[in-house]
Amino acid sequence: MAAHSRGHPAMRERGFSPAGTSPYWWIRPCAGPILFLSLLFLFLFTAAAASAAAPEEEKFTEELLLRPLPDRKALAHFHFRSSAPPAASVGRHHHIFPKAISQLVKKYHISELELSFTQGRWNYEQWGGFDPMSTNNAKPPGVELWAVFDLPLSEIDATWKNLTHTLSGLFCASINFLESSTAFSAPRWGFKLNEGNLRYGALPREAVCTENLTPWLKLLPCRDKAGIAFLLYRPSIYKGYYHSQKLKLRSSQSLGIILDQTLTVVLQPNTVSGEQLHSNHGQLQPNWSMRHLFNRKLSGKCLVSKSSRVFIEVDKSIVDNVNKSGSDLSWSNELFVLSNSPDKLIKGQNHVEIQSSFLYVYDASNYTEEKPLDVGITWKLPLVWTCTPSPFHASRFLMGSGNERGSIALSFMSTNLHKQISGSPTDCSIKAVIFQVVPWYVKVYYHSLEIFIDGSRKTVSEVVDKIHVIPSEDKLLPGTLEMLLRFPCSMQSGTLTLDFDKGFLHIDEYPPDANQGFDIPSALVSFPEFSSARSYPEIDPVLGSPLLEYFQEDSVVKSYTEVLLVPLTTPDFSMPYNVITFTCTVLALYFGSLLNALRRRIGEEERELKKTELVSM
Amino acid sequence: MAFGRRSPGSSRHPPALTIVTALLFAFLSSAAAAASSSTDAMHNNNWAVLVCTSRFWFNYRHMANTLSLYRTVKRLGIPDERIILMLADDMACNPRNSYPAQVFNNENHQLNLYGDNVEVDYRGYEVTVENFLRVLTGRHESAVPRSKRLLSDEGSHILLYMTGHGGDEFLKFQDSEELQSHDLADAVKQMKEKHRFKELLIMVDTCQAATLFSQLQSPGVLAIGSSMKGENSYSHHLDSDIGVSVVDRFTYYTLAFFEKLNMYSNASLNSLFTSYNPSMLMSTAYYRMDLYERPLNEVPVTNFFGSVMKTLHTDSAYTGFLAAHDYETPLSVGDNLDDHFMLKDRATPRRSNIEKEAQLTPHGWTEVLLEQLEGKNTDTVVMYGLGAMGILLALSTWLSM
Repeated sequence: MAAHSRGHPAMRERGFSPAGTSPYWWIRPCAGPILFLSLLFLFLFTAAAASAAAPEEEKFTEELLLRPLPDRKALAHFHFRSSAPPAASVGRHHHIFPKAISQLVKKYHISELELSFTQGRWNYEQWGGFDPMSTNNAKPPGVELWAVFDLPLSEIDATWKNLTHTLSGLFCASINFLESSTAFSAPRWGFKLNEGNLRYGALPREAVCTENLTPWLKLLPCRDKAGIAFLLYRPSIYKGYYHSQKLKLRSSQSLGIILDQTLTVVLQPNTVSGEQLHSNHGQLQPNWSMRHLFNRKLSGKCLVSKSSRVFIEVDKSIVDNVNKSGSDLSWSNELFVLSNSPDKLIKGQNHVEIQSSFLYVYDASNYTEEKPLDVGITWKLPLVWTCTPSPFHASRFLMGSGNERGSIALSFMSTNLHKQISGSPTDCSIKAVIFQVVPWYVKVYYHSLEIFIDGSRKTVSEVVDKIHVIPSEDKLLPGTLEMLLRFPCSMQSGTLTLDFDKGFLHIDEYPPDANQGFDIPSALVSFPEFSSARSYPEIDPVLGSPLLEYFQEDSVVKSYTEVLLVPLTTPDFSMPYNVITFTCTVLALYFGSLLNALRRRIGEEERELKKTELVSM
Repeated sequence: MAFGRRSPGSSRHPPALTIVTALLFAFLSSAAAAASSSTDAMHNNNWAVLVCTSRFWFNYRHMANTLSLYRTVKRLGIPDERIILMLADDMACNPRNSYPAQVFNNENHQLNLYGDNVEVDYRGYEVTVENFLRVLTGRHESAVPRSKRLLSDEGSHILLYMTGHGGDEFLKFQDSEELQSHDLADAVKQMKEKHRFKELLIMVDTCQAATLFSQLQSPGVLAIGSSMKGENSYSHHLDSDIGVSVVDRFTYYTLAFFEKLNMYSNASLNSLFTSYNPSMLMSTAYYRMDLYERPLNEVPVTNFFGSVMKTLHTDSAYTGFLAAHDYETPLSVGDNLDDHFMLKDRATPRRSNIEKEAQLTPHGWTEVLLEQLEGKNTDTVVMYGLGAMGILLALSTWLSM
């Protein structure tokens, strides 16, 4: 202010003044350095900011986990993760992340999605029910799709319909059959806790074959030409006892999009049993390697992948056996020996801090085409072990006969797991959550729910804590059941039964092979008090393995029951043809006779003929 | 008063009025006629629609037929994006298949038709008559994805292959519904009117196959069936390992013809159609070419079964494919010099054909009018027409007063 008043009016009008004579004379010589300093500061600030926000770029990792199973089979689990940073920082250009998926997420406002294609049944008795693999990768047969949308509730059904069509075009499957309201349901807490923006649908009879794997592999940056996906020899995958390919998407504003693609296969290794040791008791496990599983060896990693690893996992029971025999768990011990020396060893613990598994890690970037990786396991001593099961084996079956009515029964057989874990008092209880969707033509009467524990009938209120039913409506909605039960720990077997009536379908609604029957999709049984998460306390976080992160995620123990096949009454499909034939015959006879009676003169033809003869003669 | 005034006026001027009206009508009709003579588009893409309509394990051979054609068509150059494959059942991963993920069309199991990269567009219960007709006519719901649509245009050559169980004038879909020959003819007619193809080759391998295309009347359609009315089509051989017949005779001999070819062969359709021996097929392969104007010995099979395009190199800017410009057809691998000259010779009359067809064909005295209007675009022609109509209207009101 004072400077203003001192200034010459003429100079103020002009707006600037020659050096030395203006009131701001002190700025001009310092303007240079000040400007320079401010620019420098700005530059440093942006550089710091840029480096603080770690350079956001797309990442891809690939991993393979191999595990021997107790019944002479082998489990192979492929895990591919692509992640894209949030859209604001990177725009719409992708170079590793598949553009089809990012467009899908943006168009349908998906926050979480899981799509699995499965063939075969996960054998919970033999292959375990308590570890992250069986919890996350044991899926119901056919196609299962669920999605959580980030939209107002009124728009979700229409978006779901468009999503199913897009996925059917993307994955060569008839997922578009999930579009109608009779095929999907909206559970609130039985499947996953949500506010009404989750939709769930399953197609139990969908075939899964190479044509579903082809587009799934095309989402990977190296396809199946390089890296771990190169091992996917189609005949051996589809010859397996169980195979399940899964696509899991998570998207948020802060994390961007994370795409996890997993393929879980249970195979019988084709080994020639010529090298077995003579054993007195127990079964001898086969010696297998990657070549026996996939007909190929791993010849290097996918060049755009950040890391590429192969894990060999041995279960808790084997770990216990090895510890019992006194040796340590190096890659060559008294029970088994691995064919290559691993790069790292990792110990895993389950949620009660008991050592539950041991992992041998191989880094695929150390191997090339000339020196491929063919890791395998050779057993030295016969070994029998079991995998940890879930607290109850859940299974489901149909009761009743005839085409009018029947019953669905869910049975739980105890595996005495609680004794192993806690050696517990007798007044504990185990909670179980049941989620079941039944199509409308199997009309379940939910009031007929009966619960039997160890053979004796209990009232519903004794066992059921919470129940939520969306009853079915003919041709509109399937029936959804979500139930929270409390079983006593000492229960050896429990059964729930529900009665149903069989409905009638319109003749156009029958599939071409209607006499085979109709499917009721798998029910999901989860045990919320048991967590199947693993922890790996000794690994450094920089290892950055998505597979181990996946295993460390908090997830409850889940198991899926069998799919039920319900024979419904089928009409005689030739009846429309028969009716048309009969009716037309009757009408033809009627009109023919009528016209004959009205117009035909007997003997007219001969008279006409005689007349013409007379005329012509 | 008004009456009295109008009648002498109208009796005085009717000849002039009628002459002007007639002139205007003639002009408009010729313009309309000229506009409707369609400019023939150039062949620039190939599509294949391969349909297997049978379900159940004992119809393995129909699946093998369709997959054999799929493999052939892919090998000769048509990419997955332009193939619509409809398989009514899953044979490769069928529990009864002792060779999972593998489909064979021969007892010797030399060739795995399923391969590693198969993409099936319509599967299982989706293969219905309704979906088939929707694919042909392009009338889908808005949610249907692009990979399930036949996105052909007026420059497309489409191969339509259907196999399954059929009979007199029908083809059975999945044992529960039928496609009738007049439905197919109607769909093809709709396709023609919507300019969804330039040429269409229909190949049918069922019993009494030739009856399925007996109702066709659209131009540009060529059809071949494996047997005539009253004859059955037979399977070729039984594979005792898989347990069912693995291929049909017609398709087997079709494949025997194609396995000798590669992308650059120019075997003609005529050689394909005459290669079928009725005694080997145990039926008569009947084809109809009355709706097809090109002679069959000039049409290479890759026009339908492959995807070979002639490359037109030009230095000038792109002005659309009807513009006349000199081009050199490059020597492709395997061509000898004679072929090169033949291509060039064949190209020049074709270019002049295109030019000829692109011009409006004048009729008689409207030539005068059209010469006047040549070089002006459609907007000005319309303005002229409207102006003439306005003048006529003014004239007629003045005359009627």
